[in-house]
Amino acid sequence: MLGLAVVVPNAVQALQVLTVMLGAPLVSGAIAHVEARLQGRRGPRILQPYYDIAKLFGKETLVTDQSSWVFLAAPIVAFACYLIVPLLIPVLTTYPLPLGYMGDILGGGFLLALAGFSVAIAGAESGAPYAQLGSSRAMTFGALVEPTFLFVVFAVALITSTDLPYALAATVRSSSEIVSPGHVLAAVAFFMVVLVDTGRIPVETHTGTLEFGMIDEARTLEHSGPALALLKWGSAMKQLILYTILINVFVAPFGLSSTGSPLSIVGAIAALLGKAVLLGLVFAVIDNLFSKLRLFKITEFLAAAFGVAVLAVVVFYVGPA
Amino acid sequence: MSAHVPSTTAGIEDVVAVLVLLTEFAMLRGPLLRSQVRLYAFQSLAVSVLAAAVAATRHVPDIYALAGLSFLLKVAIVPAVMLRLLRDVDVDLTGSAKLGVASSTLVALVVAVFGFFSVGSLHVHSTRLPASTLAVASAVVLVAFVLIVLRSDVVSQAMGFFSLENGVSVASLVIAPGLPLVVEMTFLFDLLVAVVAFGIIIRVHHGRSKTLSTTDLDRLRG
Amino acid sequence: MSAILVALIIVPFAAGMVSFVSPLGSARLLAPVAGAVSFALVLTLIPTVVARGQVSAGSELRVDALSVVFLVATSFLYLATALFSAGYLHLGAGPAALRYGRRFYAGLHVFCWAMLAAPLVSGLALLWVAVEVTTVVSALLVAIDDTEAATEAAWKYVLIASMGLGIALLATIVLYYAGTSAFGTGYELTYTKMLAGAHHFPADVIRLAFLLAVLGYGTKMGLVPVHTWLPDAHSEAPTPVSALLSGALLATSFYAILRYFQITSAAIGSTYPRNVLLVFGLASLLLAALYLVRQRDIKRMLAYSSVEHMGILAIGMSFGVTLAIVGVLLHVLAHAAAKGTAFFGAGSVLRKFGSKDMSVLRGGVGALPWSGSMLVAAVLALSAMPPFGLFRSEFLIVAGGLSAPRYGVAAVLVALATVAFLGLAWWTTQTMLTAGPSDARAAAPSDGSVSAVSAVSVSSPARVRATVAKGEVSPWIVVSMALGLAALVVLGVHLPADLSRLLNHAAHELRSPR
Repeated sequence: MLGLAVVVPNAVQALQVLTVMLGAPLVSGAIAHVEARLQGRRGPRILQPYYDIAKLFGKETLVTDQSSWVFLAAPIVAFACYLIVPLLIPVLTTYPLPLGYMGDILGGGFLLALAGFSVAIAGAESGAPYAQLGSSRAMTFGALVEPTFLFVVFAVALITSTDLPYALAATVRSSSEIVSPGHVLAAVAFFMVVLVDTGRIPVETHTGTLEFGMIDEARTLEHSGPALALLKWGSAMKQLILYTILINVFVAPFGLSSTGSPLSIVGAIAALLGKAVLLGLVFAVIDNLFSKLRLFKITEFLAAAFGVAVLAVVVFYVGPA
Repeated sequence: MSAHVPSTTAGIEDVVAVLVLLTEFAMLRGPLLRSQVRLYAFQSLAVSVLAAAVAATRHVPDIYALAGLSFLLKVAIVPAVMLRLLRDVDVDLTGSAKLGVASSTLVALVVAVFGFFSVGSLHVHSTRLPASTLAVASAVVLVAFVLIVLRSDVVSQAMGFFSLENGVSVASLVIAPGLPLVVEMTFLFDLLVAVVAFGIIIRVHHGRSKTLSTTDLDRLRG
Repeated sequence: MSAILVALIIVPFAAGMVSFVSPLGSARLLAPVAGAVSFALVLTLIPTVVARGQVSAGSELRVDALSVVFLVATSFLYLATALFSAGYLHLGAGPAALRYGRRFYAGLHVFCWAMLAAPLVSGLALLWVAVEVTTVVSALLVAIDDTEAATEAAWKYVLIASMGLGIALLATIVLYYAGTSAFGTGYELTYTKMLAGAHHFPADVIRLAFLLAVLGYGTKMGLVPVHTWLPDAHSEAPTPVSALLSGALLATSFYAILRYFQITSAAIGSTYPRNVLLVFGLASLLLAALYLVRQRDIKRMLAYSSVEHMGILAIGMSFGVTLAIVGVLLHVLAHAAAKGTAFFGAGSVLRKFGSKDMSVLRGGVGALPWSGSMLVAAVLALSAMPPFGLFRSEFLIVAGGLSAPRYGVAAVLVALATVAFLGLAWWTTQTMLTAGPSDARAAAPSDGSVSAVSAVSVSSPARVRATVAKGEVSPWIVVSMALGLAALVVLGVHLPADLSRLLNHAAHELRSPR
């Protein structure tokens, strides 16, 4: 019995990672499919991202002759980062799993930033102008997003007196202190951060082929073969991770398993993917309703997100208890 | 009618109220006259949803009628009237912000924080008063003031006033859902009359000066 | 008796509807009739209210002594303004004149209807609605002349007053919330109910509600610093509308504040509301007195005089003793009569000379022997000279202040009122009592041919007519002004017994609410 008590949480922990890893292309595919439908196209199959990734793994890797080992190591580092983050956040369970206390939400943020940094380095390493342009833009806007993210974390910490994602999710779930204006504002700010980080309208057209408007997408232009597969897969995982944080930490931490029984775990996986697709629908709708901002207007958007986040924090201090 | 506000209700109310507040911020930034009107329509939609939510969760069926009427008036008729007015007027951009986007947003942020602070310092610890939603409502009212002060075109100012009324509506829904229906209806009717008055005066102003700007309305002083 | 309340609601509204479709000639005669009927109805209410304390009709209409005081002021001015309008409007023939006249008379009636409805209704919510209707109607009336200045004034007015009323609505809602602690979540906002349960209300919430109410309704009442629309709207509106705005509308808003004062005093004692009113009152009096000294536009001068008098009313309430409150209520009545008369006189001058600029107007009394001298009398009345009603009321207020005892405030009040007097008296005597062009030259035909729509807005000195015939603009104007002055003398010299009892009852209601 003792063995089971150790094995089950660890198995669930592994399952969290696997869910994100294997579910991410599905969510991306579903969103792309729905988006195409919204635009009156038939769109790709829902499973298309899996085929893409599989195909890329079968191709050879080409490396420019200016690049060093960093160019090939970066996709692996980024992918590894995306594999670690799901250990820290409530993907499937309401209770913290063994490695859940390994890092707080700031730790998760660092890992995501490290992943972004390594991809940007790789882009810069390629020596290609568009990839370098993408890297520099990504780092610029990344630096501007960072304060917003920090303020969101502060707001979270003010609600729960800790910045552990599990604790915050528990607060939202226990409907006694459910959502205050500060919390809603923090969620809105985080929503805007997700818009930026997943390269969505109004910041970036994620499906475009126009290099001038690209930010995140441009970084990987020079990669090919398995390295590109890892990058694509990684960006799908990053998207799902951000969705998971938004859903399971801020907005709707419901449908999670609280017992760890196999049935509830399966239910939690289904719930997570379902909620992620629903959230993706919201993004798809936004994609269709608005147009992309001019590059220099993006800072304004980021400033707005920052303003909302600041308001969220201040409201906790001065607003009614 | 329940004496205590269930926390999920408070949650929904807060979410909608914050949406209303953020729309107010967006109006502060909106560069197009039309976008002002559309944002107002969206904000009114949020208020109508709030009304329906209050009716459902606090079991005040009267408010359904209010929600329906406010939807009809504030989401459909008022924006339609304003948009029609704008169609006759050959002006698109407000071009009227007295401060830059950043400064006006900062001013509005400070003012909104003051709204939260003032309600917070009331120290109302009542189970029946959703103080946080009231705080958001007062922030909406104050940001509407900023909008009216910082914009110098008649449409933005009129929309600012109507959205101020939306803020008051949020407050009335959360702290006085039992207010007699007749009274609430009269408030709405009054708004309609105010829209007519604003519309006439906007039309007269444009007819005289061929502009929607208020910058030349500065001859009367002292 | 309750039929009177219903009739008071019906008569002006019906008159407005009729004026909108009837020929101009009959609309012109209908207005004084409707005004006279309303005034007579209100007068018949006085003995009953004095005897019984209150009269109600249904659950929506109810008057007590306090409301009747304001009804008297408004309905009197309704009558006087209707008389004045008949002489003031020079409408020619043609569709434009007909449209203007119909709009004007319909607006006049509906405006008065809303102002009469405000004291008639039984609760705070309907009160707000009535005051909001006054805003909308009067804004359209201010804009009716369709000049640039009128548009500007109307825009400022409708925007600022609407914002103020938004705050007043918030006050209503907050007060409603305060009541839920005593009555549960669903109840009617009637005065009787609010006063009965007031001592259960949470103090912080009541304070907030009162402050919001003073800010909100104070915007309409013209309290500094939220008075900024007032001089513009008063000076650019057609003169009959200016008279109603100043004499009746400001009083109606003051009535709304008094209702909040009553409830707040019942809930948390009168210290807090009195202090709030003192601050606003002193600010208004100070600013208005200073502006009066340098004001050259005759209608703007009268507008600032209104701000001054509203300040006096607020300060009078802040003294809190019965003597001062009786003075305040009498002041409302006397101010309505005096300010109405003064605006009528200003309208007469404006018609005669085609200008409002007092730095170029000369020889007013020479050109207008009756209305000119009555204008001087009205301005003296506004400066609280005996034997007019305002002397008695300000005397009561200051006496109340001395007995309160608030010597400092009373001294400031007297000092600032004196400064205001200097401003008013200097320009009026300069304008009216000097030798003017009409004395020097022969009479020339200059009047009567000007269309109403264009002549009202003329303000540049260059367009002051070089020659002005001696003679009144219209006998209607003289009649309306004589009516106002007669009322002022009655209020000042021999206050009717019933009216005096009414004022005492009303002051008693404000002092110790049931």
